[in-house]
Amino acid sequence: MDFSFPKEYQLFRRMVREFVENEVRPLAEEIDREHYVPFDAIVKAGKVGLMGVPFPQKYGGIGAGETGYCIFMEEINRVCPSLAAVIGAHTSIGSMAIYLGGTEEQKQKYLVPLARGEKVAAFALTEPEAGSDAAAIKTRAVRDGDDYILNGTKTFITNGAHADVMSVMAVTDPTLGPRGGVTAFIVEKEFPGFQVGTSENKMGIRGSNTAELIFEDCRVPKENVLGQFGAGFVTFMKSLDMGRISLGAACLGGADACLESSIQWAKTRQQFGGPIAHKQSVHFMIADMATEIEALRSLVYRTAWMVDTGQPFSKEAAMCKVYGSEVIHRCIDSTLQIHGALGYSRDFWVERAFRDQRITEIFEGTSEIQRIVIATHLFRPEGVRISA
Amino acid sequence: MRVIVPIKQILDPAGFVVHRRMEQVFVNVENYIINPNDKNALEEALRLKDAHGAEVIALSLGEPRVDDALREALAMGADQAFLLTDEAFAEVDTGAAALTLGKAIERIGNYDLILTGQRALDTGASQIGPRLAEYLGLPQVLQVQEVSGLDNGKLRARRNWRGGYVEVEVSLPALLSMAPEANQPRYPHGARIMNAYREWEVTTWGLADLGLTEEELSPLIRLQREAFPPERTRGELITGEPAEAAKELAQVLREAVDW
Repeated sequence: MDFSFPKEYQLFRRMVREFVENEVRPLAEEIDREHYVPFDAIVKAGKVGLMGVPFPQKYGGIGAGETGYCIFMEEINRVCPSLAAVIGAHTSIGSMAIYLGGTEEQKQKYLVPLARGEKVAAFALTEPEAGSDAAAIKTRAVRDGDDYILNGTKTFITNGAHADVMSVMAVTDPTLGPRGGVTAFIVEKEFPGFQVGTSENKMGIRGSNTAELIFEDCRVPKENVLGQFGAGFVTFMKSLDMGRISLGAACLGGADACLESSIQWAKTRQQFGGPIAHKQSVHFMIADMATEIEALRSLVYRTAWMVDTGQPFSKEAAMCKVYGSEVIHRCIDSTLQIHGALGYSRDFWVERAFRDQRITEIFEGTSEIQRIVIATHLFRPEGVRISA
Repeated sequence: MRVIVPIKQILDPAGFVVHRRMEQVFVNVENYIINPNDKNALEEALRLKDAHGAEVIALSLGEPRVDDALREALAMGADQAFLLTDEAFAEVDTGAAALTLGKAIERIGNYDLILTGQRALDTGASQIGPRLAEYLGLPQVLQVQEVSGLDNGKLRARRNWRGGYVEVEVSLPALLSMAPEANQPRYPHGARIMNAYREWEVTTWGLADLGLTEEELSPLIRLQREAFPPERTRGELITGEPAEAAKELAQVLREAVDW
């Protein structure tokens, strides 16, 4: 067993860290305050390959696999969870659905510009009456000559207002249920009958856009059926599986930033005649944070390795998501406590990180759904591997 | 057009702490990076690649670990990389290092331009550029801010000169050493980082490949002792009314700086 990162990943992490420190950190506060990620930041990220980290180079990506993508998400989420959410929704689910389910022509036409950062993607599953219960979607697609006509509404879609290309899940045959009756479509924002609805006013990750998507007799050519007809549910579930690992990695980065700042502050803050780093109550919080972070790091990179070596990983991916989001929950809570009133001030990053953290337990499958996924795997020893 | 960029790998200053009172350097993390000023030379070469299709070759002398610095140069955009490594190179001084690099540059051949950093962050010697130019018999321009023009075998460069700039013209081949503030080195593209380790090669040359003998490399300078520089004094304090103090300060500066 060798737990060290190969050298290309070490250099990649160093490049990403420099990029994030120089290009993202100076904007992080403004991104939260103005509820907007400057498009320039996305362009810059695209220029150095950061909008298509996991995809092969022949599809415009950099060929860094899931391991490289986790390194990237870890580094970016240390500094700006809003930007991590934008690039995460673009890469790990929006573009990923096309990579996993798309035909060769679709990958050339859509994935290549997405991975190069020339276009932005979104992933449209959640509806007013469906989210955790993904199979309950109501959006309908009906064949009309060479096209499909989509009708329905998607809600809470990350990048919804800015995306050029959307992977959209719709019911094509209500009698068949999710496996066979649901098809995924690639929808361009210019398609007639598509419009963006209202954007959410959120608690955290305020720089990322979360919008409603409205399909009113939206005409989608039949070539834009994403992969196989009737296989939409499976494609979407596979994409979500992948997204869970990098979300765990993002939580790892955020938690590690908490630990670093807590140690630094504890050494600086003087109370009762010495730094609070001398207090055992602070030691215990910091020791617990560090231990959980190490456990999460092992889980995330082992799961990424399982993906990159072609092993089944669905159960472990759900563990990355639920454990990661709960580790960062506890870490940011301790960090705020250690920073005291400073941590509660809007003038310091801890308050923003506290708000940004909470969504990790909700989006891309709530903690409850992750536990159901894990338990389902455990109760069925033969596994519930999804095959297209 | 072929541009050769000699680079140096140094210990990352972020990984060590200098303890003045104990007169010791504590290395916490032994990381190695490309000498930051050499990245300015590499960046200027890559701009010539972008604008004029120049071929960029990175070259480095050192231990086998220097391979990482050369792969980073490939990731930034260099087309080829050469590592000069041999046990016989272990103790070279700046003269012998310039000789070794010079032999390698001659073996690579057909070059139009050598770009170096002005100085290494670790030793601060600032000697490799001038020594290389002497060995190769090339015109040299030091402290270059910008390569401002290139046509008909001539290159124009803007260099620092007595608190201002001068623009000079040299015939190629030539050697330029880049000032640290000359440019902002680019981030390597992610795909090139992956390819630098998975797809591309670094060519390794030893003593025999360069037609050198150990005698030729015997150092002219021998290290006797290393010591900490004296602590910086606080400088001169000018007191009094602001207007008067400013006048006095201006006078002191005028006398101190040779314009």
